[in-house]
Amino acid sequence: MKKRIRRYFPVYLMALPGLLYLFINNYMPLPGLVLAFKKFNAQKGIFGSDFVGWKNFKYLFATKDAFVITRNTILYNLAFIVINTILAVFVAVLLAEMTSRMKKIYQCLILLPYMISMVIVSYLVFGYLSSDNGFFNHTILSALGKEPINWYMEKKYWPFILVFVNAWKVTGYNCIIYLSTILGIDRGIYESAAIDGCSKWKQITKITIPMLKPTVIMMTLLAVGRIFYSDFGLFYQVPQNQGALFSVTNTIDTYVYRGLLELGNMSMSSAAGLYQSVIGFILILGANLLVRKLDPDSALF
Amino acid sequence: MKKGLALLLTSALVFSCLTGCGKTEEAGSSAQSTDTTAAVTADAGTEAAADAGEALDAAEQAIADRKAKAAESGEYEKIVVSFFDWTGAPAGIDRINAKLSAYTEETLGVDVELLIIDSAAYTEDIKLMLSSGEQVDLFSTCGPGYMTCVNNGYTADLEADGLLDTYGAGLKDFIRADYLDACRVGGTLYGVPPIKDYAIQTAAVCIGTEYLEGAGVDLSTFQKDDLGYYKCSWDDIDDMFAKMHAAFPDKTVYSTQDNMLTQGSCVDNIGGDYYGTLLNPSQDLTIENVYESEIFKTWCERFYRWNQAGYISGDALTDTNGASARIKSGAYMAMMACGKPAYENQISGECGRPMTVFDVGEPFMSSSAVSSFPWCMNQNCADPIAAMQVLQALYTDPVVANLVCWGEEGVEYVVNDDTTINWAAGVDANTSQYYPNVLWMMPNQYAAHVWEGDPVDVGEQTAKFNDNCPVKSKALGFTWDNSDYAAEYTALQNAYQEYSGKVIYGFVDPETGLKELNDALYAAGLEEYMAAKQAALNEWAQAAGIN
Repeated sequence: MKKRIRRYFPVYLMALPGLLYLFINNYMPLPGLVLAFKKFNAQKGIFGSDFVGWKNFKYLFATKDAFVITRNTILYNLAFIVINTILAVFVAVLLAEMTSRMKKIYQCLILLPYMISMVIVSYLVFGYLSSDNGFFNHTILSALGKEPINWYMEKKYWPFILVFVNAWKVTGYNCIIYLSTILGIDRGIYESAAIDGCSKWKQITKITIPMLKPTVIMMTLLAVGRIFYSDFGLFYQVPQNQGALFSVTNTIDTYVYRGLLELGNMSMSSAAGLYQSVIGFILILGANLLVRKLDPDSALF
Repeated sequence: MKKGLALLLTSALVFSCLTGCGKTEEAGSSAQSTDTTAAVTADAGTEAAADAGEALDAAEQAIADRKAKAAESGEYEKIVVSFFDWTGAPAGIDRINAKLSAYTEETLGVDVELLIIDSAAYTEDIKLMLSSGEQVDLFSTCGPGYMTCVNNGYTADLEADGLLDTYGAGLKDFIRADYLDACRVGGTLYGVPPIKDYAIQTAAVCIGTEYLEGAGVDLSTFQKDDLGYYKCSWDDIDDMFAKMHAAFPDKTVYSTQDNMLTQGSCVDNIGGDYYGTLLNPSQDLTIENVYESEIFKTWCERFYRWNQAGYISGDALTDTNGASARIKSGAYMAMMACGKPAYENQISGECGRPMTVFDVGEPFMSSSAVSSFPWCMNQNCADPIAAMQVLQALYTDPVVANLVCWGEEGVEYVVNDDTTINWAAGVDANTSQYYPNVLWMMPNQYAAHVWEGDPVDVGEQTAKFNDNCPVKSKALGFTWDNSDYAAEYTALQNAYQEYSGKVIYGFVDPETGLKELNDALYAAGLEEYMAAKQAALNEWAQAAGIN
């Protein structure tokens, strides 16, 4: 034991800043969760404030909105998990098979959207969808002789728009992880497969995809843990906070934001945060349990 | 060798982390030391307050004590005053703070530091400072909101131990007792209102003068009101819009914003929101749903008509730019705001072109007009006595007011012969090193100089405008803590945002749009919310002897 500590001392030392960061940022605030059950008053402090029980959670469940926001949050996240994973794996396989010198350029171009702030993305989208001057209404639909569509008032298009924008934005980033896994696969396997007369297609389906499985499972588990969170920018900025679209764009985060922006109620926002993390925690444990049943080697823990 | 290097690098990393932590600790301990000194002065303060007749002496004594302490330690204690501007801390802030402190060291025995924060960040920053114990002694509640600050317990009772009477008695000469009372929450005074126009001239339609001329509108047919604006009816406005639309087909006639109730009506948003309002606030204390009222319906029908006529941009729902900023861009011609004395100058500046103001509504003072964003003291303030004396100076001392409002004479501005001021040579709004441009938020803008072009007696004019306001809400000073109904409020807020946009900008027929909106509001719990508000209002009215 002692020998091990001495041997890996530099490694531990390297981990120390990270652990400190984790401790300060993720563990020290944990007692503050008690705020979700209190009526916060600065004069009494977090721990001195009065207990109010579950009252702060009421607004998350009290109205008919509760169903809509929960449904939107979960369904969008499920769609994102499935579609983004398929796209990212697809792009990663393509990039891995590519031998031309353009590969690096493609990789950068795909990654680029990930670097753009959601606020900017929302204006890019607006450039296409603006009802007076947008590219679709102004150029495409008028060229086809069709009536312009008031995009920001028609909710039926938005599930597709949001899924598309999200995929466009994150695919490049997600595929890096898959690409690095593929590059880590022993080239010897492919060589011997090629010698045995295995086609490129067979190599992909029989070697690359199975070898990717643990990474896919890990990434999916992580995503499942955050299924009750939503990308605030995507759901608030990209639809331009349009009321007419709420039934398909309102998620837990945007609902809480809209309601509490003026109230500035810390206890209610902690309640929302606690609710999201507890459900996320249960889901990630459950999903991991399921994976362990089906395929013990791929489970996270 | 390589390993040694790695070790060196990682330990450097770790150390830099640790030193980062050390710094905050230091700050913490220094805050503690001011705490103990404060306790001493506070004790002296309560003793002094025991004899109210010697208030003046007590105030002077407190100043003398601080000076004596400063002479001993070589350092004055500091009072931090925070508010927002549009661009973040001005470039010349250190110079202004030094000037200000040099003056207040003499008069009050304290240093004063202005902590000016960008408007976009102010709400978050000030809440963080108030809840984390960072030093901020006096702050404007414009941004976080007065009731939010009171409900969260951020604000100190200004009358605790006779604080206001003993050390801020001068404030009462400047702020009328009924305006002061309007800021009480549950009988306790947590803030003092900035001295400004509390009444508004509702529905002031502002149109670019060049567009009126281009459309051939004859202004001589209109009478002028008390404030000097053209009095006219909505039919006149419709006529003008039609002419302007014909003369400038490439420009959008009307620049929208969701202000038809706030600036365009005398409906009282009692308790701080429009979910349950007083429709006839000068007469009647019955809370009603404004979205079912004729007043709101008339607005929606007007906008529907304008939208059909093509006066409103198809992007009105998505465009989040300010109404005046759009007019400044040159693509829009008219907007609605609320008027007050010397408003034409202000709106012309905002719109970047001469604007003509039409007065279509009537003057109105709502229940929250006075208490919308008072100045408050942090409950965590180390030395409330010093803070109160600084607060008094902000309202009463012209030297302090000028420095805070306008900066340094000769550097930022020069004084004309008639005591108005203008930019110093080579300085303008963009190059000035100190130009917060938030005069309406300042404790007492009228203690400072008046800008060239505005009447020198704008302060008196405004006071008269406030006093003469014919439609004053009976519930002036009523405040309501809605935190027990936060679930309903959140749902109402979401319902309003979901269904309001298209009906208030005239994108749907008001008949169907209003029904949708009201159904959603009732489903969100409007009835319970209104009933709770009414109960609180009745209780308040009874206590205040109003019926």
